[in-house]
Amino acid sequence: MAEQDARIERLLLRQEIADFLYREAELLDERRYREWLDLLADDIRYWMPMRRNIKFGEDEREFTRANSDINWFDEGKDTLVRRVKQIETGIHWAEEPRSRLSHLVTNVQVQRAEPSFAAPQEVSVSCRFLIYRNRVETETDILVGRREDSLRRNGAGWLLARRKIILDQNVLLSKNLTFFI
Amino acid sequence: MSAPINIRDLAPGTSVVLAGGAEAEIIDNPRDGIWLFARYLSSPRDPTLVGQEEMIFAQDVVAVGAAALGPGRL
Amino acid sequence: MAVNARQGYRPGLIDLRLGEISREIFVNEDVYAQEQERVFARAWLHVGHESQIPKPGDYFVSSMGEESVILCRDRTGRIHVFLNSCRHRGMKVCRYDEGSTTVFTCPYHGWSYGTDGRLVGVPHFREAYHSRLDKEKWGLVEVAQLCNYKGSIWATWDPAAPPFAEYLGDFARYLDLQLDGWDGREGQAEVLGGVQKWLVPCNWKFPAENFSGDTYHNISHRSVDLAGIGPSGASRRDMGERDASRKLHVCIPDRGHQTIHYVLPAGQMPPPAYLNAPIVAEYFRHCEEEKRRRRGEEARMVGAPGEIFPNTALLSRQPRTMAAWHPRGPHQTECWRWFFVDRDAPKEVKEFLRDYYIRYSGPAGMTEQDDMENWNYAHAASRGTIARRYPYNYDQGSGTAVTDYEYQGLKVPGEVIDLTEVQSSEQPMRNFYRRWAEFMEADDWSQLATWRVNERKAAE
Repeated sequence: MAEQDARIERLLLRQEIADFLYREAELLDERRYREWLDLLADDIRYWMPMRRNIKFGEDEREFTRANSDINWFDEGKDTLVRRVKQIETGIHWAEEPRSRLSHLVTNVQVQRAEPSFAAPQEVSVSCRFLIYRNRVETETDILVGRREDSLRRNGAGWLLARRKIILDQNVLLSKNLTFFI
Repeated sequence: MSAPINIRDLAPGTSVVLAGGAEAEIIDNPRDGIWLFARYLSSPRDPTLVGQEEMIFAQDVVAVGAAALGPGRL
Repeated sequence: MAVNARQGYRPGLIDLRLGEISREIFVNEDVYAQEQERVFARAWLHVGHESQIPKPGDYFVSSMGEESVILCRDRTGRIHVFLNSCRHRGMKVCRYDEGSTTVFTCPYHGWSYGTDGRLVGVPHFREAYHSRLDKEKWGLVEVAQLCNYKGSIWATWDPAAPPFAEYLGDFARYLDLQLDGWDGREGQAEVLGGVQKWLVPCNWKFPAENFSGDTYHNISHRSVDLAGIGPSGASRRDMGERDASRKLHVCIPDRGHQTIHYVLPAGQMPPPAYLNAPIVAEYFRHCEEEKRRRRGEEARMVGAPGEIFPNTALLSRQPRTMAAWHPRGPHQTECWRWFFVDRDAPKEVKEFLRDYYIRYSGPAGMTEQDDMENWNYAHAASRGTIARRYPYNYDQGSGTAVTDYEYQGLKVPGEVIDLTEVQSSEQPMRNFYRRWAEFMEADDWSQLATWRVNERKAAE
């Protein structure tokens, strides 16, 4: 029975975390950016490294490093807030007219729950995403990759404390990254 | 006819046996799976090669390690 | 003017007298093809930085025009730039972005080249080639000339091109601002790890002319100014030093290089900057003092966007970055960005600047995003049959440049317009396209290196 209980705890937690990620995706897709910002911890780190084509066996060269290298994103809440502010000016031409976005979130796996799955305070979750961005007439981008998130308990809910985004691209195929991933 | 060998990860110092019966010691491995830099240790067909450093092509490597003596050797 | 879209380049597409430039130069397939021969095969192009290849065997795959090239350091420490294509059957001999190697081997038939480009490995050389292949003739194609200018690596395919320093002419001081230390020491720059590469659906000349010195497009960036990403929390950069300076357009006419530039008044330090980070603010204040001590009047020069013909963009100050606009057909550009810091700057300074650079420039950069939107749709709207009949207007400030500009004792060579009151001009674009037309029309460097004729005459 204990084993059954443990499995149920994991199942419930995974669903709860997946629900959080789906809700977060909906907020972004509905352009409810202020509510999305409220899901972010004040000390959030939002990081998307660049990827290199490297020789077999030289994996340490593949990703640009946080804090020291140039990345696509490597920022905290202040910058994320300013990105929202920029969109809200209504004159951020790269988002005017605004893009249509759909974030598909899948392959959700809770990797770790501390101190326990039954009463978690911090959760590490991985998932994969497919983001469809369509704007103006026919301009379309599809971004696919993996996220590694850390969530922190906040009352009955969660805050996003850390997001690492691993995009499956080398040369960025989109002309811009005006949207959140 | 010997099975193909992936030479990519052979360490310097390793001996290899070549088609034609020569033996060479790897000096440097560029790890491209296609070439080795090696010094000839023995070369029945062309003894002048002994001691020479040459680039060895992957297809010419038939065995790794010291050559077995006696029947069955190429 | 009626235009036959089937034709490629011809004189008249650039009309500097009227200040009009035909849209054909951006969207016409034949013009693009001719550019690859006339411009990219002959000019000096930026390839990378020596700090990307510090040790023998290190390599960085770059681009010259459309073509993939390998920037590498051979066993003796010498730097080379090679065409990334096997001489046998063309396969790329390196499909990694960067790394370290002893040889470049082609996976198709196994030909292998040393880091000095020499053909060293030929499978079955004795048997299939009967030892008759002349390996010396079949090494990797190497650029005709290479120049390491204060760490930045430049190359040209044209053996007849003037040496790089001559190619730069009086523009060298602006590249110096990019590469010299903030404290005035020479050549202190290093590249931060990670070169940004991204695709924009526009002709390469859109970004090239923008960085030549577009002083008219602040409205593009109004949203980022409002969001306040600057290092003191406002606007997109610290404006104090610019507000205190004369604002200039500086064009080197016979070279086709041009820049926005600011000159501080004599005896005046720039106002404090980087106020969001006291350590950084203090570091730059100290650097400014040192620069005054070392460089004297030259320390009054404040860098801003500029362009080295044809496709290398400079920005030496807030943010400090260089870009290359690689042509990928007439309708697409692959933008590459390198970001610089002084190699011995403190860690906190490098980290602060890095954060700033990322949120400013590149596809995730809140400033650059709006430029690219404009380039994208300006290009798209120019492809149509009717649109192509109507030239762009480049007439702003025509006829107002002077050649003897001086501000409180500091001379600025070139054709200069003081923008401080007039706000803006399009002199840099006229300068850029005049040079572009020269490249498209010239059969050889005797027609391009016109300064040599003038210098000879002056000497006589």
